[in-house]
Amino acid sequence: MTGLASWTARRLLLGAAQTAAVVLLVFALTEALPGDAAVALAGDQPDPERIAAVRKALDLDRPAHERLLEWAGGLLHGDFGTSLASGRPVSTYLTGGFGPTLLLASLTLVLLVPAGVGLGVLAARHEGRFTDRLVSSVTLGVYAVPEFAFGVLLTTVFALRLGWLPPTAVGYGTDLLAHPSALVLPVLVLLSRPVCSLARLVRAGMIDALASPYVAQARRHGVTGARLRYGHALPNAIAPAAQQLARTVDWLLCGVIVVEALYVIPGLGTVLMNAVAERDVPVVQGLAVVFGVTAVVLNLGADLVVRRFAPRAEVAA
Amino acid sequence: MRARFVAGGLVVAVPLLLALLGPLFAGDPGPRAASFTLGGGHWLGTDFVGRDVWRQVLLGGRSVVLVALAATALAYLVALPLGLAAALTHRAWLEEVLMRPLDVLLAVPSLLMILLVASVVTPGAVGLALLVAVVDIPDAARIVRAAAAEVASRPAVEALRMQGETWWRTAVGHVGRSVARTLVADAGVRFTGVLYLVATAAFLGVGVAPDAADWAVMVDRNRTGLFVQPWAVVVPALLIVALTMGGNLLADAALGKRRRT
Repeated sequence: MTGLASWTARRLLLGAAQTAAVVLLVFALTEALPGDAAVALAGDQPDPERIAAVRKALDLDRPAHERLLEWAGGLLHGDFGTSLASGRPVSTYLTGGFGPTLLLASLTLVLLVPAGVGLGVLAARHEGRFTDRLVSSVTLGVYAVPEFAFGVLLTTVFALRLGWLPPTAVGYGTDLLAHPSALVLPVLVLLSRPVCSLARLVRAGMIDALASPYVAQARRHGVTGARLRYGHALPNAIAPAAQQLARTVDWLLCGVIVVEALYVIPGLGTVLMNAVAERDVPVVQGLAVVFGVTAVVLNLGADLVVRRFAPRAEVAA
Repeated sequence: MRARFVAGGLVVAVPLLLALLGPLFAGDPGPRAASFTLGGGHWLGTDFVGRDVWRQVLLGGRSVVLVALAATALAYLVALPLGLAAALTHRAWLEEVLMRPLDVLLAVPSLLMILLVASVVTPGAVGLALLVAVVDIPDAARIVRAAAAEVASRPAVEALRMQGETWWRTAVGHVGRSVARTLVADAGVRFTGVLYLVATAAFLGVGVAPDAADWAVMVDRNRTGLFVQPWAVVVPALLIVALTMGGNLLADAALGKRRRT
């Protein structure tokens, strides 16, 4: 067990380093750029008054490392600073957009696993035949398509031509659960890429597992059908896929930003895009830290879980 | 596999030819008409400021494709020496110093990095290419290192070393040439990934002017008129789908070919 313990310690250390790197990177990219940040942030026609106000609000006269320490210290007890545009605390922006984004992400994750695993097993069962070729080609193709292009085409077909679903979530506010029809297209678009990557990995793992000696032995003992596939072969095929699932968190976060912009959903992605447009640096920083740290923590969690269940799997740490 | 190669080639040919040769056939901008109209001499109608959609389509592919190509090339330019050096060094600490920071960077969502920079500066097309390249370096360097490390452990490299060949001849002459094949296949996959990022950033308004002739910008700006004039959105969206989908099918077919030989 010492191997596992030292591996876990190293993986936790890497996670901590990644969290620190996210905080540092967010600060460096937004405040330590060459030139005068206040002039850049004051907008297209900077007047001296506005520049002075920005400089005062961000404390730009003090050295960068002092500001970094103070900001990072604030983050530790949940103080994200105040918005440049409205003067409201950044945390109110975060809580405001949290609900819709969490709803979208959790719905997507709940549907992602059965859809991806189901498609992968289906393709592996018919390896080399028409079903397999169809599933493999479609997943390979859709996997590379940007969400916005796919989403706009789906909207044109299902909202415009057929009129089955609302084209955007405009007018529903943050209470999206009361209007499930407005959620269908966003979740479908969010699912498109991760389902494809998961299905491809499960297919590859299942084909290996179904050809392995232990499955042949189970067959000789008379285990057949669904029990053979899901009870014996799938557990061994799932380890690499589970790891990939954590990597797709990156896509999911990007996808959420695009999908919220596309369907006008008032979540964290929309808050982020508005803040980017207004150059509201404290809000952008706060959201970037939340998104970045979420990605780090989910990757860490997935690696720990995979290592626990499939100790043979190679996990980099 | 052959069928997939042909299918991918056909799907990707239309948007690629349109992107590269379209600007030659675009002609002069005619007088502006009313926004979001159909007919009136405009084959695909007019867009949100009354420009001819077909002309915008002809002009709009070049920026997406060129920025993605430049970003892919730039990413390799940095990743190649980095990965080779990490794979061939005998000093464990040097490899750690080269590769560990990249592991840390890999955890940050790529679109987030681009948006962060966009909140402070307004990057142009060149800036967007640079940004996307930087975001792509960690993953590219890991691939190069993995491929080169495999080659470097072969007896041939050991023999070269014992013959007293220079580091340069071993690294570039032998290892570099041996990994080239793997990297050509990886470049196709990487290009479609970069294409995704470039198009998505442009859709969100990063690295492009708000009225630029760019397929992704067209999708974004003409969305308001989707119910009146869908062609201004559907045509560029279909072209982006065809470009990325066909590109990935083609890259995968090429990858499969390499694997078998």
